[in-house]
Amino acid sequence: MSDAISLLWPPFLVALCLIGIHAYFGIQVLARKVIFVDLALAQIAALGATVAFMLGHPTQAPATYGYSLAFTLLAALLLAFTRAWSSRVPQEALIGVIYVVAAAAAILLIDRAPQGAEHLKQILTGNILTSGVSELFSIVPLYLAIGLLHFGLRHRLSTAGQRSWLWEFVFYATFGVVVTSSVALAGVLLVFSFLIIPAAIGVLYADTLLRQLALGWSVGALASAAGLAASFALDLPTGAAMVCTFGVTLALAGMARPFLRGQAVPALKRAGMVARCGLAFVLAVSALQLMLAPRADQPLIDAFEYAFPALRTAYLNAGEAAVYGDAKLYAERYAREAEQLNVTEMRSRSQGEALDDAAVGRISSFLKSYGEMRKGEEFVMAEVRGRARERLRWPLAAAMLMAGVALVPGVASLFSSRRIRGM
Amino acid sequence: LCCGVVAAGVALASASLAQERLRVVTTTTDLRSLVEAVGGYRVDVTNIVPANVDAEEYQPKPSDAIRLKNTRVVVRVGLDYDLWFDRLLAQAALAQAGAHGIWRGGAGYVDASAAIAVLDIRGASVGPSDGHAHGSGNPHHWLDPKNADIITGNILEALARVDPEHGAYYEANRIAFLRRIEAKIGEWTAKLAPLQSRAMIAYHNDWAYFARRFRLNFAGFIEQRPGVPPSPAHLAELIRIMREQNVRSIVRQPFEPEKDARFLAEKTGATIVVLAGSVGGLPAAADYISLFDANVEALLAAQQSR
Repeated sequence: MSDAISLLWPPFLVALCLIGIHAYFGIQVLARKVIFVDLALAQIAALGATVAFMLGHPTQAPATYGYSLAFTLLAALLLAFTRAWSSRVPQEALIGVIYVVAAAAAILLIDRAPQGAEHLKQILTGNILTSGVSELFSIVPLYLAIGLLHFGLRHRLSTAGQRSWLWEFVFYATFGVVVTSSVALAGVLLVFSFLIIPAAIGVLYADTLLRQLALGWSVGALASAAGLAASFALDLPTGAAMVCTFGVTLALAGMARPFLRGQAVPALKRAGMVARCGLAFVLAVSALQLMLAPRADQPLIDAFEYAFPALRTAYLNAGEAAVYGDAKLYAERYAREAEQLNVTEMRSRSQGEALDDAAVGRISSFLKSYGEMRKGEEFVMAEVRGRARERLRWPLAAAMLMAGVALVPGVASLFSSRRIRGM
Repeated sequence: LCCGVVAAGVALASASLAQERLRVVTTTTDLRSLVEAVGGYRVDVTNIVPANVDAEEYQPKPSDAIRLKNTRVVVRVGLDYDLWFDRLLAQAALAQAGAHGIWRGGAGYVDASAAIAVLDIRGASVGPSDGHAHGSGNPHHWLDPKNADIITGNILEALARVDPEHGAYYEANRIAFLRRIEAKIGEWTAKLAPLQSRAMIAYHNDWAYFARRFRLNFAGFIEQRPGVPPSPAHLAELIRIMREQNVRSIVRQPFEPEKDARFLAEKTGATIVVLAGSVGGLPAAADYISLFDANVEALLAAQQSR
């Protein structure tokens, strides 16, 4: 446990700092309807760093940061000027174009440099788990300064009314500076989640900026803690686990909304209707798949068998069950013995008596044979199951279809559910 | 007279053609160095993946397909290490009719891993995987200098098949090279003896063959599956292993990310040792033999710096 805490508190602090500024920027970004602008700015900054790298500057050098900053400011200028570039094509299209062109240009550049690809990857895929307190010393003052600047200019930077391009430039430039440093710390995916999800939950439930921020910050802190804990407990890569936790948080927040608004009963009814129709649809498609291609994958039946292994013995006859059980036993035995050989060989590399080349060659070919034999047994298992399913496909599919029809609340209520959804 | 001049011209041209060097393309720099050792002045070798680029994630360029034009022999690492090479060969076969010699099974096609005793075979990866996503075993087989015996044997076979006239020359080259390697293996083993069984950590499981030959102990890897960052539980486990077994070195290749290795180094006081996994990975690793020289020196330097 102490291991967990000593490993996880620095990334948690980093997450809190990042959420602190990104939730605010997220609210602004949502209001401006430029959702993917952070990806474009991060990619532009990475392009700048790549140019610096090509010119021979090391990754951490001030010159590299200078190039990144210069590229980001140019992109900010472009974004500020093109806010209303056309009433026909939304600005989001331009943002997407900036993103792909910057990414492609960086690939073209690094193609000329050894190690370039790794360099670029490191700029865009920071790992929050190995970010430490030392990195906070450089970002916290920066974020505080930008936060204060925005507080001072809050009337100018607000999205209400006519906005001058100068203040738009200030917005995008400061945002670019923030994103450049945060992406290097936590990676593109996580920074996008920090930006959009707390802000979206805040906007969903609160009306004033202060309340939206407070809500976004608290939800973000909770989701970060949950994501980090899940990542430790379930042995998952930290950034990806946090992103998924944030996604689940947003889904929960969205689902909780009708309950908090006192519309629980109609919402539940609608959800039940959707769930029943969805389930009926899945059952019907599975039945059709079983009838037309009984040997192909049957995800629904497989899932049921995985959850209730007894189900399999129900549809295999005695002979089939015996063959299946045998094959399973042998497959497991081969896997175990192969693993044991692997462990023996690995130990012998540095401990005890060294195995000579002939012995290692023998182990290697044994392992290959074990692999083949196991594949053979697994083929037998699939074949037995496939044959049984083929034999029973008509009654099984009919039962599934009937269950599906039983789930549909009748044609009349099906129509009414459509009307409710359409409203 | 006219006919005589033409005949003489044709004879001269074919003589110079015969003297032209054999074009060989390899996927990696290591194989290039080994082909040079066997082929000597008779071969003109180029490698596709530049030094210090991760060959497993290489994306071929149009110029690579053009490079295969008029190539008589191709040499690949095998064991799913350079899977992209199949598509490149298919492209070359589409572009030119005579490319069948370098097609899989052709006279000029060499899979360097043929007959190698492959380590870390984990079949359909059902067991606990230890570093590689490959079902066909750990592909870094050239990092055991003794495997040069088998790899150069595979190369010799193809060169002699395509250019039988110089078969004896290739064979003599190979024997001389293997003698040099044999002497060097003795030297490297002696130098690395103090490091034997001393636990180390590596960024990725690139070093199985190297570790077996020189009896080094890699107790763990930072990146267990290619492209997936380590989980906190895995990092905690590594830190525990490093403290328990008193791990003093973290090995990484120049193209592997530094951040996670530095994190562990700061937590445990270990030092990061940069080793070349391929020829050209470090400035000193200019060919197959100096690759091991450079790595042995780097490991010893890290050992002595404490």
